[in-house]
Amino acid sequence: MLKFEKRENIPLHLRILIPLISILLGVLIGGIAVMFSQVNPLTVYKAIFIGAFGSTYVFSETIVVAIPLLLISVGLILVFKMNYWNIGAYGQYIMGAIFCTYFALNSAETMSRPILLMMMCIAGMVGGALWALIPAALKAYWKVNEVIATLLLNYIALYSLKFLMYGPWRNPRSFGFPLTKIFDLNAQLPKLISHTRIHLGLIFGIIAAIIIWIIIKKTKFGYEIRVIGENEIVARYAGINIAKNIILAMIISGGLAGLAGMAQISGIIHMLQIEINPDYGYTAIIVAWLSGLNALTAMIVSFFLGGLFAGASQIQITMKVPIGIVGLIESSILFFLLGGAILTNYKLYYKGRKII
Amino acid sequence: MRPDAYAITIILLAATVESGTILLFPIIGEIFTERSGILNLGIEGMMIIGALVGFATAFMTGQIYWAFFMGMLAGGLASLIHAFISITLRGNQVVSGLALSIFGLGVTNFYGQEFVNLQLAHTIPQVIIPGLSQIPFFGPILFKQDYMVYLSYILVIITWFILFKTKAGIQLRAVGQNAQAADAMGVNVYKVRYFWTFFGGLMAGAGGAYLTLNCAPFWLDGITAGRGWVAIALVIFARWNPPYALIGAYLFGAINALQFQLQSMGTTIPSALLSMQPYFLTFILIIVATLLVKAKHIGVPKELGIPYAREEK
Repeated sequence: MLKFEKRENIPLHLRILIPLISILLGVLIGGIAVMFSQVNPLTVYKAIFIGAFGSTYVFSETIVVAIPLLLISVGLILVFKMNYWNIGAYGQYIMGAIFCTYFALNSAETMSRPILLMMMCIAGMVGGALWALIPAALKAYWKVNEVIATLLLNYIALYSLKFLMYGPWRNPRSFGFPLTKIFDLNAQLPKLISHTRIHLGLIFGIIAAIIIWIIIKKTKFGYEIRVIGENEIVARYAGINIAKNIILAMIISGGLAGLAGMAQISGIIHMLQIEINPDYGYTAIIVAWLSGLNALTAMIVSFFLGGLFAGASQIQITMKVPIGIVGLIESSILFFLLGGAILTNYKLYYKGRKII
Repeated sequence: MRPDAYAITIILLAATVESGTILLFPIIGEIFTERSGILNLGIEGMMIIGALVGFATAFMTGQIYWAFFMGMLAGGLASLIHAFISITLRGNQVVSGLALSIFGLGVTNFYGQEFVNLQLAHTIPQVIIPGLSQIPFFGPILFKQDYMVYLSYILVIITWFILFKTKAGIQLRAVGQNAQAADAMGVNVYKVRYFWTFFGGLMAGAGGAYLTLNCAPFWLDGITAGRGWVAIALVIFARWNPPYALIGAYLFGAINALQFQLQSMGTTIPSALLSMQPYFLTFILIIVATLLVKAKHIGVPKELGIPYAREEK
């Protein structure tokens, strides 16, 4: 009854409509889920919306969440383009935070602010990049499944952080809580706008998005990545060095996730602790996919999902609606998006008549 | 002190079997799903859904076996989302599986809130098998367990038999190796894939339910703690063969039981480093297993992750 026929090229209106409809349907599913727990979904969504965009301050908090999402997701876009599944941004983010904290704790007195912050940025990127290099090399040379490797490294990174926080890096004056001392002003990323928490990381994110967009569209490296992603066998016959590309792309992707971790603790938390929101590493996967693997679109999507997260954090406190609603809505959007992709790839016929 | 060391060994190994059983179900399930050509990275999500549904059912009805069944069924139902997207709609299996995991973690956080920190009054009861449990050393380890553990023993044998000795097994392997050829032979590729993806979901749900009904009879957010990802790793270690799944699951179970025992005995090793060990071990295992699989040319199902489209010319 239903028949599919492959499309030659994807019409523009479908490319825009399908993500939008997916978002609407995902939000609808979230609403139904809320209804089951005897809360009015309209009240919840209104509260989320107000909590995300309702005032200058909450609006700035939405941007605060969007910063790490943007930094991580544009890096993911680069590797996803080549069908390499870096699920390890969570761990790379933690490693970035750990590496930069070393300088924040040890060099704050000896370095001037710009130098120290630069060292922390570099350390954060190196930390994330090294953590990404492990699964990249394992994949490139030994064909070890990167999904599994990056995921397991996430747990290893998390426990490394816990080890540091309950051990050598715990501030003796924190009453036993697993916290370092608060970073000196020297080690704090400057704010961009006063009376908000928006910090310099926003500029990093926007620059990263533009650079990644240029890499993918305009460089030989980006071209090779796209060829590998479309057909690895063709890429190999064309003489493209796949191992080199995987490693290079993963260093960039991990480095950006590490920078996101650095920006979060240097710009927002101002100390190292166990709760540093590495879950942004998973949310960024959704950002990357929802933006159609386009780094510029990722700016808008980061902002949208940042709003969802910021708004939901508000209603978690005010209305006792669990934060899990975010994952529920995000995954539902993804399901519709993935399912909807069939309409972009195929023409659909029902009993011989074309529907879409 | 001698008898004490012996007794501790027995306790440790019995705990190994219990802890391993949580993983054994999902590993076996995913072996069959992947053999059919479908990669389901949603195990973590299906397990935690099974864990919550199992726990909630037991908490509200007190019927522990019914709860296990419901947890299993919930995992199965969750897998149908992935099946529909990846089989019927030919969507990206990697992302769909990840979405399923995010979905499971989100939905259980959302609906699990009212159960947080509640405890079950009764866990799955121990059933001592007369005779077999008297075997020195092995008896108390393997046969002083519960029905679910015995079920897992039988499952390993049955699934091995199905996979290699029955027509259903041949069809399943054919679909995973070459879907088009299987289709030409008259095998319904879609039906086979739906069935074994559903089976994988049932097993993931069973693993999750066993966790909250026996090993950790309380509810906490994210209680599966990455076991679903470990299970996917151990599928490769098991080389898509149920008996090897037993080895992988018990290895993980052993290191888990050991680190847990050490922590409760109050060792000086930092607990974060101990808790890391199961994941670290799995990480090493996956590297070794990949090299072995490559060296011995053992078949990764060739169609793994590739959607099948019948109408395409």
